[in-house]
Amino acid sequence: MGKYNAFLYDEVGNAYTRKNLYLHEIAQNQSALKSVTGADREKAISALRNLIRNKKNHPYNVDFLTYKREERNFLTTLNAKVKTLASNLDASMDPKLRKLHLDLIRSNEKKSFYKPYVALTYDAELEYEKHHIISMQLPEIIEKYAQTKKELVEARIKLKEINPEEERTFHKNLKQFIVGQRALYLKNKSKLKEKRKQKIISEKALRNGIIELKKKKKDLINTKKYTSEKKSTQELINNKKYVLTKGIRREIKVLKSNIADSRRKIPVEVTKTQPIYSRFTFVLPGLGQLLNKQYLKAMLFALGSAFVYFIAIPYALGYGNYQGDGIMGLVTLAEFGLKIDKSLIYMIEGIVAIFLIIIAFIILLLSYLDVRNVERKVIKGIRPRNAFETLLGVEQDGFPYLVSLPALLVTVFIVLVPITTAILLSFTGMDPKHQSKFGWVGIDNYKLIATGSGLAGSVFWSILWWTLIWTAVATTLAIAVGFLLAIIANNERIKGKTFFRVVYLLPWAVPAFITIMFFSIMFSPDGALTTLMTNIFGTRILIKNDAVLTRTVLIGLQTWLGSSYVFLLSTGVLQAIPGDLYEAAQIDGATEFQKLKRITIPMVLFQTAPLLVGQYTFNFNNFSIIYLFNGGGPFNPSKYGNLAGSSDLLISYIFKLTMENQYQAIGAAISIIISMGLMLFAFIGFKNSKAFKEERL
Amino acid sequence: MKLFKKKNELYLSDKQPLSTVGIVMLGISYAVLIAWAIAILWPLTQMVISAFNGSQEQYLMVNDNFVFSIKHFEYLFKETLYFTWVKNTIFIAAVTAVLTLVIVSFTGFAYSRYRFKGRKASLMAIMLIQTIPTFAGITAFFTLHSIISAVVPVFSRQMMLIMIYSGGGIAGNTFILKGYIDSISTELDDAARIDGCTSMQVYRLIIMPIAKPMLAIIALWSFIGPFMDYLLPRVLLTNPSSYTLAAGLFTLMSDFRTMNQPAFAAGGLLTAIPIVALFIVLQKQLVSGLSQGSVKG
Repeated sequence: MGKYNAFLYDEVGNAYTRKNLYLHEIAQNQSALKSVTGADREKAISALRNLIRNKKNHPYNVDFLTYKREERNFLTTLNAKVKTLASNLDASMDPKLRKLHLDLIRSNEKKSFYKPYVALTYDAELEYEKHHIISMQLPEIIEKYAQTKKELVEARIKLKEINPEEERTFHKNLKQFIVGQRALYLKNKSKLKEKRKQKIISEKALRNGIIELKKKKKDLINTKKYTSEKKSTQELINNKKYVLTKGIRREIKVLKSNIADSRRKIPVEVTKTQPIYSRFTFVLPGLGQLLNKQYLKAMLFALGSAFVYFIAIPYALGYGNYQGDGIMGLVTLAEFGLKIDKSLIYMIEGIVAIFLIIIAFIILLLSYLDVRNVERKVIKGIRPRNAFETLLGVEQDGFPYLVSLPALLVTVFIVLVPITTAILLSFTGMDPKHQSKFGWVGIDNYKLIATGSGLAGSVFWSILWWTLIWTAVATTLAIAVGFLLAIIANNERIKGKTFFRVVYLLPWAVPAFITIMFFSIMFSPDGALTTLMTNIFGTRILIKNDAVLTRTVLIGLQTWLGSSYVFLLSTGVLQAIPGDLYEAAQIDGATEFQKLKRITIPMVLFQTAPLLVGQYTFNFNNFSIIYLFNGGGPFNPSKYGNLAGSSDLLISYIFKLTMENQYQAIGAAISIIISMGLMLFAFIGFKNSKAFKEERL
Repeated sequence: MKLFKKKNELYLSDKQPLSTVGIVMLGISYAVLIAWAIAILWPLTQMVISAFNGSQEQYLMVNDNFVFSIKHFEYLFKETLYFTWVKNTIFIAAVTAVLTLVIVSFTGFAYSRYRFKGRKASLMAIMLIQTIPTFAGITAFFTLHSIISAVVPVFSRQMMLIMIYSGGGIAGNTFILKGYIDSISTELDDAARIDGCTSMQVYRLIIMPIAKPMLAIIALWSFIGPFMDYLLPRVLLTNPSSYTLAAGLFTLMSDFRTMNQPAFAAGGLLTAIPIVALFIVLQKQLVSGLSQGSVKG
């Protein structure tokens, strides 16, 4: 026997007395039970038992049963009545109007039927309220509808009766009018231009004046157009059509929201005390909602059910796969499969299956929580939402989830699945000898990297070292140069700022791959820069054959490329620094250097810090400059093996491992390591950023 | 006349008069600026010159005879699939921009205006995910494509590329747009809601028109991205007729059979000009868009 509360509550916590006197009595007895002890307690318990045993004979229940029976009778007679009424109605009547009429009749009948039972049960009260509202508001809507319809018909007739002759003369007049207006416009315009020539008005005034004249001309012509009988009638028809569709819909929406309001104010009373539906319907989303009489929700969750049982689970079990075996594919990796079966495909399909199962699980969980929530509310006294309210709720609270759904799906399949693949791949033995079939090898790849052994792992540390140096030096240099140039160019005495800004923008604007490749051409043995250097130094220097020189040139090139962006960024910030700061500093006797150190640098750094940090991560992964300039070379097999060159960064090394030499597994392991490093870097930076701390959550 | 003369002798500037040191410093400043401008312009002019130099053959070499000719452009147009590449790139770029815009405008709005469950956690996740290089998933992209195209045969490699570009752009752009929408007063939304606007209407009628400048920047960045990127097309696209500009031009550099460096210079020039023009016209917006997103985000 569950516990009943003596009161019902709505969402905002208002208490209502129970109308179900039987339950009310039980609730009172139950609460009395708490305060008494000993013999009184025994008595109270037996009274309660008596009450429950005599449930059927309780006067309230007897009344309630009669009410139910009469309601059923009433509804059947009402239906029959409405049907005969409907067949008696004019057949030529507008179907929508006819439906509204019948609704009104039904509501009136229901209103008078439920009225005597208002005191008996909240359900009857709600019905009464609902139909009261309908019978109040619907006549207005019907009248409006009928009226508009009538006007529409009249307007249409009028449109047909318009004399074509009259219309023709009107158009002739209109044409003349337009010609006249145009002439007037031209005349006024030339007058204005004359004024401008005499320098009475400014260039801007002339422009505005012309715009004004144009508008005036257009307005006049439009107004004239609407005096046409045909045109205005057409407009009227459009207007009436709009009222008939959108206008009426809005009125009905108001009506529905009034009903929804009364649903919120009139509680619901049920005999159950535990959310039982949710417990046995969670396996089939939609069923619980159906039992809760929320049909719209039930339909939506049924779609979810279909996804779970017809897509997610079969796929995970291996049905409908492209080649793989669902989740099992992750374990076997096509080990005993056919010759054409590829381990990688098995792995990816396994991962996709896992994501599908996660989504399915989320659907089941959401459905369970939803059913349980609704049931708990019903037990408390809150009515479940009807379709109108559900839609409204989805519109408001569900909106962020709904609109983020495409983003989530794309992210899962384009970002998360590949990354998960990379993570799993790093634990396998996919290498040139095991392309089609490979197995799990545990953390062997990581071991190889950590100890710096093996064909691919041996150069890891030296490449990492160069990558770090590269990142630090190339980025810092680019930032320093860009910032310095920005400060110099921002000097108010410098002339030709626009020129410098446009020129300095160029390295950023020209696609980097073009400039890098062109530099690569120029540094080739017969290239322009090589020749230039030969002329200067007297000897022929082949940059691309020397590791140190290549690295130096790469850093220089990145400075050339990256400083442009920093320059633009800092210029933007510099221009925004208020001038009074410098004036105040000047009055206090600060030197130029002090102003720079105490005002300019902190201001610029503070504002651009996140982007500058971004520059470091960008350079860490700056594949194109390394690969396009010299292909990572020059090659030095004694030091770097056959897979990497002496200017390779980790990222280009990964590219060579995975794409050119098919050491996918170890390439994936290195990707995971650098991703983790970068994520940690970003996490620390983000956690400390002002924006994150101040975020209003 | 006298009056004018007097005026000329007066020191009217609100800047302090320059000392000798100041003049030297100014001179140095000019020298530095001009030197750097030359450092930028020289290689670029070299590119322009070699693109028009008729005396250059397959390899670009230094020679002093300059013969104006457009034969490299002719080669580019006739012997290579240049126009196909342009068409491909524009198609990929346009679809990417539209997709990114549609997805991001919703997420940016949702993250800025709604306080929903999992918001902070997912923001953090977005932030972290965007640091992972696209590279990490490169092995999977191939296979993923063959799986999808087995189910949906029309799913071409170019579409895969579009999905990768737009999927990869979601995280960062959501952040930037969220920052921008945060700066729009919520009173506007409240007023609209009181007047009976639904969430969708607030999005469509209030937020999107105001956020237009930032949306334009995001669209522009997503549009330029495919022009700049050469790695993914090179890896994913296998057929020269489906190449983008970057991947196509690279064949003029990398492959012995199709090697033609002056034609590369010509193609690079043609690609760079519209982008540079765009950057020069919109430089203020582009830069401010970047810093705005970062400071707020």
